[in-house]
Amino acid sequence: MSSTVTRTRLAVAAATAGIVVLAGCSSSGSSDKASASSCEPAKGKVTLQYWNTVPGMDKVVDLWNKQHPNVQVEIKNISNDQYGILGNALKANKAPDLAQVGYDELPNLRTQSAFVDASACKAATAAKSKFVPWTWSQTSFGGTGVFAIPQDTGPMALYVRSDLFKKYNVAVPTTWDEYATAAEKLHKADPNLDITFFDPNNAEWFNGLLWQNDAKMYGYSGDKWQVSVDSAQSKQVADYWQKLISEKVVRTDLAHGSTQMYAAYQKDQIATYVGAAWGYSMFRDNLPKQAGKWTIVPMPTWGANGSSGDWGGSTVAFMKGSRHLYESVEFNTWLNSDPDALALENKLGGLYPAATAGLDLPALQQGVPYYDNEKIFDVFADASKKIDTSFAWGPTQKTVNLALQDAMAKAAAGSGTLTDALATAQAAALKSMKDQAIPATAGK
Amino acid sequence: MSNPTTTRESRVSRTAAMGLMLLLAVYFLLPVYFLVVASTKPQGDLAATNGLVFSHFSLFENLRTLFTRSDGIFGRWALNTVLYAVLGAAVGTLISALCGYALAKFTFRGREFLFSVILGGVLVPTTALALPLFLLFSATGLVNTYFAVFLPSIVSPFGVYLARIFANASVPQELIESARLDGAGEFRIFFSVGFRLMTPALVTIFLFQFVAIWNNFFLPMVMLQKESLFPITLGLYEWNGQTARAPLLQESIITGSLVSILPVIVVFILLQRFWRTGLAAGSLK
Repeated sequence: MSSTVTRTRLAVAAATAGIVVLAGCSSSGSSDKASASSCEPAKGKVTLQYWNTVPGMDKVVDLWNKQHPNVQVEIKNISNDQYGILGNALKANKAPDLAQVGYDELPNLRTQSAFVDASACKAATAAKSKFVPWTWSQTSFGGTGVFAIPQDTGPMALYVRSDLFKKYNVAVPTTWDEYATAAEKLHKADPNLDITFFDPNNAEWFNGLLWQNDAKMYGYSGDKWQVSVDSAQSKQVADYWQKLISEKVVRTDLAHGSTQMYAAYQKDQIATYVGAAWGYSMFRDNLPKQAGKWTIVPMPTWGANGSSGDWGGSTVAFMKGSRHLYESVEFNTWLNSDPDALALENKLGGLYPAATAGLDLPALQQGVPYYDNEKIFDVFADASKKIDTSFAWGPTQKTVNLALQDAMAKAAAGSGTLTDALATAQAAALKSMKDQAIPATAGK
Repeated sequence: MSNPTTTRESRVSRTAAMGLMLLLAVYFLLPVYFLVVASTKPQGDLAATNGLVFSHFSLFENLRTLFTRSDGIFGRWALNTVLYAVLGAAVGTLISALCGYALAKFTFRGREFLFSVILGGVLVPTTALALPLFLLFSATGLVNTYFAVFLPSIVSPFGVYLARIFANASVPQELIESARLDGAGEFRIFFSVGFRLMTPALVTIFLFQFVAIWNNFFLPMVMLQKESLFPITLGLYEWNGQTARAPLLQESIITGSLVSILPVIVVFILLQRFWRTGLAAGSLK
């Protein structure tokens, strides 16, 4: 049965790919490059295409369309196969004006010249001050242009079953050392209880942990990428989790977001969750019976370094071929910094804003009933300000993530270690960049 | 007196056959059973409780959420599906009946060749046709309209094939001849004689078409971008892509799936009498 499903999916993907490509060929008129980087307002009515994956985005766009009769926005939901659809559209010169792109996909799409630099528009460069610093540093590629506007982020924190910690008389950890001690204590008190789970197939999450420890996975200078996926900071994180895995005080058999994961939480088998801001609704909606038992505290820290990490989040990128850069900038900055728009996106789509003004949304100031009426978003807002701004993603991030996941799965199964996995990822990064003729060297 | 060995043997084999059937029935119905159970649960119980056991009953609440989500877009999808399936199957059946009848009852040059071509059409999977269809529709500006899904749905080579066999089997040439002698035109003969005699067969074709269009996913996915034109299948697929950001959608997808299979079951039960007659009629020739 599942193989049929896979086959159908493949057929679907292959056929849509073909269609978009062919559709591009058939309309040869779309290749004229109207003012690629100049920023002139259009005369008359303009229609923008904006592709995204956010639930309820139609309502936000309705709000804009009502207020701006001359700049109408049409949206398309690309939740299924987001980057596949975008990649095909780019190949066919049929890309939308604006598209949702995750932070870790930005460098990859940029090496494929998918974006247009909007810095000719004053409104775009002026938007810098409106966003949490690290997000702007990634969308501007360290200040070399404005290729996207940050939309949402996933500042990380620690979700804690405070009732279990109280029951076994264990203090809620504030550093990773304390976290390891707590893991041992909890497991000793109840052999069925683990402090958390390590999902080897979730490189995005693991990258968030590396980011927290100021591990710079990539650098760029002198027209060359410097790859340091297996830096000392990364190794520190890997060694730490390897120890927890070897001591069997964390589960490695649960996939993030799976039914099995929720079932394990439901059965009181796991005491914490190292997660991002957008995760708060996952627990609220899937584990309603544990209302009042959860609390959210800052992520455990590495010694004196009080940094936090980020897991996920997206930008709205200016896509190559857009003919209405001025209007795109206008809409994009409104979409991601206007309080009304941010409030709607937060309410309907669960987005945690990248705009600093968004952190003060009324909805994010209130206590959340599920979390014992605590003001959990204060924790995330604080974490959001403590995220390393110099962290950068690589141009072949997806390939590296896959290599990392393969190796981490092996480590979790007992062959090799997480440090080996980092070495594998480092090699994969260098090889994949070499394959694409992207100049890169190892180390800093 | 019957031979005791035969009786025992037949009983043994009958029990074995029944056992196997029962096993298969359980195998095929288990997913449906799961769907029924899951759609009565609130989101919180989906992962937390056993999938095959009822827990907190909130089917009506789920239905209300389903139909009110995003301004009742699901109702719109349901209506679209009904429109595509009922109209498409009805028109498709009529066209198939006309073609099949003509192929069976008129002798003309190239008849067998034409029939072979249509038969060849049965072998071409609809998935393979989606791409050329998209390009055709794209050139004529029909992409992203009702017609993009409706027009391809009314064509059914298999329906024509069945209709020809059924027309051969159930419409006697003598009846047509006598109708012609009475002065009836060909269309009149078709509608008042042929069509009626073929009814059980046509119901079969209608059902085939109805189910095929109802479950059609790939064609709408290729053709449609506007949410308001989606059939249920495509709508649920889109929701499914968003569950990572909106976990509560999961329950609506499950309840929506249940709602979407009910009409097919109802239509099938209502029309299965005809269906059986129709299949039998075809089997003899």
